[in-house]
Amino acid sequence: MVSLVRAELRKLLGLPTAWVGLVLGTLMAPAVVLLNAPYTRRAITAGTLTDTSDLGLRDLGIGLIGPMVLGVVVVSSEYTSTSQNAPGARQLTATLTAVPDRLRLLLAKTTALVLIVAAQAAVTAAATLTLTQVLHGEHAPVPAPARVAAAILYWTLTALLAYAITLITRNGIVPLALLIINSTVVSVSFLLSKVTDLAAYLPDIVGTRMFIRGTDFPVEIAPVTAGLVMTAWVAVLLAVGAVLFHRRDV
Amino acid sequence: MNTARAELRKLLTLPSLRLTALLTWTATLLLTYAYAAAESRGEPLGDAAALAPLGYTQAGFLVLGVLAAASEYQDGGQIHTTLLAMPRRLPLQAVKALALGAVTLPVAAATAATSTLPANGATWMPAATAYLTLTTLLGAAVAGVVRRAVPAVILLLGMYFIAGPLLRARPGSIAAAYLPDTAALNPSRGAAATIIWTLSALTLAALTFHRRDA
Repeated sequence: MVSLVRAELRKLLGLPTAWVGLVLGTLMAPAVVLLNAPYTRRAITAGTLTDTSDLGLRDLGIGLIGPMVLGVVVVSSEYTSTSQNAPGARQLTATLTAVPDRLRLLLAKTTALVLIVAAQAAVTAAATLTLTQVLHGEHAPVPAPARVAAAILYWTLTALLAYAITLITRNGIVPLALLIINSTVVSVSFLLSKVTDLAAYLPDIVGTRMFIRGTDFPVEIAPVTAGLVMTAWVAVLLAVGAVLFHRRDV
Repeated sequence: MNTARAELRKLLTLPSLRLTALLTWTATLLLTYAYAAAESRGEPLGDAAALAPLGYTQAGFLVLGVLAAASEYQDGGQIHTTLLAMPRRLPLQAVKALALGAVTLPVAAATAATSTLPANGATWMPAATAYLTLTTLLGAAVAGVVRRAVPAVILLLGMYFIAGPLLRARPGSIAAAYLPDTAALNPSRGAAATIIWTLSALTLAALTFHRRDA
């Protein structure tokens, strides 16, 4: 199993697109904190920004494109053809020759993805929150370790969500379009939550409730419940993806 | 003329393009409904309801352009056959852009009508149609340079939905007038930027296509 995970890690880290996700995801949030520092400081002194407990943690959402890209390419790279001159030759054929047990393969892939994304999330969270402390230390309280851990969990679950959707679609474009549009400043899920309160239980909205305390949400959900709901979404989609991956032809 | 007919047939027979167009139009319909529902309950969702759904579903048009251009470079390297039949690359690239524009125009018009007409924004419809068509061409140009669908989609959607909103949201920001997607919500302010971005991307794509090995 260890060698399987090591192989999956090497494959993932050998993809140029994965590095785009790693670099973008890690740098975006700290960069935004740095660039917005003058405005944030002015808003605090002017009194327009009174609730500073989410400062820093809220900015972490911007880097989510990283885990999304990683979750998608770890699957979609297996399905893209390896050469223009050999249509139909996919990396997945070679992978399955080496590891015919498909569920073991999925387990190894999932482990590799979780390891990389959790490491990326930890580095990003540390950088973003340290930067917030350095820039706005006198106004922003140090977030509790549990909230930081919840933010890292949110990143990991988002990557797994992208991964599960890609397992179902076998194509990277649909999940990427869906997830990136939904991670924009005013997300579609947020719009839906204005139409029906049920939208508060969509994975991306409920997930942020694990670590953000802000009050612009229609339904009050406790952090632990929020974590369980998002985990349930990911578990169901992963189960569907695993069954399809197990049953379908390459 | 034969080249144009060939390019049109290639575009019209790609299942992925049909699916993308259908999904984009459906998403626009749903979002328009969401905006109308919120408006009738007396709590509008912020931006002008006539154009706001298009701000999201323009992603479908970007994907449409990317898939149209990247399909030549996928399994089997169709581009080799295309170039064998039509070796003059610059005219080929021009015909490709025109064919994609012609195919996109009705889809863009239908999507723009879906979003603008129910919100009494009929005057915005021609501008929105033109914007969506130009956005498709921009997507195709970027994919023509990148040559792979997934990285091109990451680049474009990251630019339009993550970097763009961030740059515009900064107080006192002048970026709005220079971003290609400002026109989606504010046609009078961003039109020039959209046209210039699309034309430059198309020129870049044509030059790289002319110089590079296929």
